[in-house]
Amino acid sequence: MFSLLLNQYRRTLILFLVLALIIILEMVQFRAAIYPGLLPIFEWVRYSSWIGILGTTYGSIYATVEAGHLLSMATIGGVVLATDLRLLGIVFRDVPSETLTRGTHKVFKLALVVAILTGIFCAAGVADKVYYMQVFWFKMLVLAVGSGFVFFIKQPLLNSMPHAQINPWLLRLLAITSILIWFTVAATGRWIGFS
Amino acid sequence: MINELLLQFAQWLYAQSYSQMLLAGYYSYNWVEATHVLTLMLSIGSLFIIDFRMLGLILPNVPASTIANRLHKPMIIGFAIMFITGFLLVYAKPVETVQSLWFRIKMILLVCAFINAWIFNARLKAAEGSWDMDPVAPKNLRTGAIISLVLWCGVVTMGRYIPYDWVDCVNVENPTILWAAGCVEQLQAL
Amino acid sequence: MSEHKKLGDKEIAALGSSAVIFVGLIYYWLTEVVSTMELLELAYGSLRLFNNPNNPLLF
Repeated sequence: MFSLLLNQYRRTLILFLVLALIIILEMVQFRAAIYPGLLPIFEWVRYSSWIGILGTTYGSIYATVEAGHLLSMATIGGVVLATDLRLLGIVFRDVPSETLTRGTHKVFKLALVVAILTGIFCAAGVADKVYYMQVFWFKMLVLAVGSGFVFFIKQPLLNSMPHAQINPWLLRLLAITSILIWFTVAATGRWIGFS
Repeated sequence: MINELLLQFAQWLYAQSYSQMLLAGYYSYNWVEATHVLTLMLSIGSLFIIDFRMLGLILPNVPASTIANRLHKPMIIGFAIMFITGFLLVYAKPVETVQSLWFRIKMILLVCAFINAWIFNARLKAAEGSWDMDPVAPKNLRTGAIISLVLWCGVVTMGRYIPYDWVDCVNVENPTILWAAGCVEQLQAL
Repeated sequence: MSEHKKLGDKEIAALGSSAVIFVGLIYYWLTEVVSTMELLELAYGSLRLFNNPNNPLLF
């Protein structure tokens, strides 16, 4: 009985365990415990690692990488809007959403990798500042949660069966959540620049 | 001559109270700028998907004309927002922007990008139906797509350079750069 | 999904995770809006969006 449940609802159980783990870590104040220990790492990245030094010594390189970050953000946004607005029935109504979901995922992955790599470079140049910014840590949280959501939840579900068999409200919720996630990641990124 | 005219125009904009309000308000400039940057996801995002499709990098099993047609409206909405917010950003800092070398290059690239988009659209219409299901577009459309990608990457990069002060009028002595950036006062002082 | 089919593993996981993320992000943005409104109110009083001493609406 138990092993049957374990096999049939593996993904749900793992999700439940992850949520429980997050709640437990919050209750034992895990964040507060590791936060001070991260400061030396951030200071090392900013003042001693080659990416931090490169980014702060040559402003032109830093700005160019920032532009690359923006371009990859734009690509992610294009893919997210095309696929999720399709799930919401707003664009591409004459193209099967299965085709769109599958056909754009490779570009999404590529753009996400570029965005993360350029993002590391941008953050390294101001690592001593972003360490103290709540909005930076929130962005990292949403980025991590959003990547997990896309790769372990959304994509597996959408690839596993014809979308007509999935409850349309679940599809809409998935689409809106995905748009919200990537909008938040982008908007908080812009706010890091202002802070 | 044109530099002087542009500067006068910028000073006229700068003298308006709404220009100063926009810059001095809490968050007002930031919100306009954030909207400008975030709308990249709609405008350039849609554009890149169309260009990638022409190059066969994305959705090869969907007709290219379908992609181009269905994304046309979101793209135009995106570019309209970019244009309005972009104008407001210039309006908030007219003198700095008019005398920014990067802004000037960005405007030139924008004009080139629009000309390219125009030619591209005409070619797309001319070739309509002949190759739609091919995974890769004909050569002239591929070239147009690559030019479009390069130009827009340039536009975004120049946009990102504008807030940096490397070639601000006060930091430059080279007369060619001063002329290209439109630094009227610094040129007269030379 | 047809009426008779039970929700599958992937669907439950999708429903649960997206509900949690959706509520969390909406909560985040609502608190952001509220704190921003408070700050603007502090700065300008009610409904004064721009910091312009020449604006007759301000004083």
